[in-house]
Amino acid sequence: MPATPSTETIQPDDHQVEISPSHTVMEQAAQWYALLISGDADTTDRARWQAWLSASRQHRHAWSYVESVSQRVLAPLQSAPDPALLAAKVQNVHARERSRRRALVGLAALGGLSLLGWTGWTHTPIPELVAEWTADYHTGMGDIRAFKLPDGSRIWLNAASAVNADMPPDVRKLTLLSGEILVSTAHGDVRPFVVETPQGRMRALGTRFTVRRESGQTFLAVYDGAVEIRTAASGATTIITAGQQTYFEPDRITNATQADPAREAWSRGDLIAWDLSLADVVRELDRYYTGHISLAPAVARRRVFGTFPLRDVDGALAMLADTASLRISKPLPWWISIDDTSDEADAQPD
Amino acid sequence: MSPASAVYASPPSVDTLYIDHHSWLRAWLQRRLGNAADAADLAHEAFLRLIIKPASRGFHSPLEARAYLRSMAQGMCINLWRRREIEQAWLDTLAAQPEDFAPSAERQAIVLEALHEIATLLQGLSAKAAQAFLMSTVCGMTALEVGNELGVSSRMVRKYVAQAMLRCMQAQARQTVAALRSTPAAA
Repeated sequence: MPATPSTETIQPDDHQVEISPSHTVMEQAAQWYALLISGDADTTDRARWQAWLSASRQHRHAWSYVESVSQRVLAPLQSAPDPALLAAKVQNVHARERSRRRALVGLAALGGLSLLGWTGWTHTPIPELVAEWTADYHTGMGDIRAFKLPDGSRIWLNAASAVNADMPPDVRKLTLLSGEILVSTAHGDVRPFVVETPQGRMRALGTRFTVRRESGQTFLAVYDGAVEIRTAASGATTIITAGQQTYFEPDRITNATQADPAREAWSRGDLIAWDLSLADVVRELDRYYTGHISLAPAVARRRVFGTFPLRDVDGALAMLADTASLRISKPLPWWISIDDTSDEADAQPD
Repeated sequence: MSPASAVYASPPSVDTLYIDHHSWLRAWLQRRLGNAADAADLAHEAFLRLIIKPASRGFHSPLEARAYLRSMAQGMCINLWRRREIEQAWLDTLAAQPEDFAPSAERQAIVLEALHEIATLLQGLSAKAAQAFLMSTVCGMTALEVGNELGVSSRMVRKYVAQAMLRCMQAQARQTVAALRSTPAAA
């Protein structure tokens, strides 16, 4: 992938500032440089480069930047003691910084709300497991998938989730068998759109929302529009509007609280952690990992900030290790152990 | 400390922000950096930046201001760590040299400056691109050798080198323009 850094057109507001070479010319100069130092350039290439240089003033101007970078930045390093060792060390610094920065992606956009409701998944009994495999839409461990329903609505299934879809003439019905689903309903279909869990039925009123099954209760968060809950046993109803979330049981609906927008991030494959405990983050990652993750109690309460790729548990753990001073080891191929790096890792300030 | 639900009635001044959040930010930085002096420096710098370049949207609540300050401070910590690690990398390299090897202070300063600069310029490049660039330029390896090392074609190595060089050239161009602008009548 050629990264095309954004072109900055420099507007000269001063006669002494020569018009900067165009992005294309700067690119050409960089490509000539890469060819000339590659060891692959022959005399023909060098002659073509000379011709390119003499063809225009802009070309020479762009090349002058190659020369100043070489002289000012690269030459001192080439003549430094042990350039290879130095280069390797700079490479290490770059890699560490990269993972630190990656862990920050998305943070600035968040409002600083803490991530609520990342409670663990419960074990699934056998009959339900069978139902999951024969479900219309299902996902395995570490799998997040998006589907388009026949009516045009879109659903995202979180890891280890299963859902059945019924689309008779009078209703659009999803039955959540396990896990978690994000729904974005299609406009222009007059049939009601409902999602069912053992705890009740949710009717969408033109909307985007998340439903998750937990042991004995259902979690609902609404991001757009509104959703009406009707509980299975008591038949109580409540309307949850955009920006709210709640839990309900067959005979009880908990008061709605503010929904966390970050909660939606899993549909893109990210876990956004804003001041979560390490234990919460690991519990979440564990759902995407087929092996076992063991967390040392000493570090379980450490706070975590960052965005972690749920599809790449090893990568996510490496980022965690880097940002939260942890040691990650794999004593067995399917066993990941997380521990403190050293006694000074969480040293209190003086 | 402001309650989580509070909102600012009008856009807060830097003074208000300072009173509300300075000691919180310093404590946060201190936990992160493990050092009171660094934390005080960075907290100070964060507020200086707010004065020089205020947040574009303004803040509606103390919570929002803290989120902004925190992400700014995160970036500052990363920059500080990079500078420290680069300094350490240079000291380690020097320590690995024969005892009688002692470059002049001036020479050392030039190398260290170049190291800081290259580390800043490489920001945002992929690990492979950064590696290919360093091996090709600093170590003087051919594209074929670098390709073998990284498991990519020599064409790909040239692409990485061009990509990194373009970034350096653009930074150089920006610096040149800024320098010319700041001394308009000097010539």
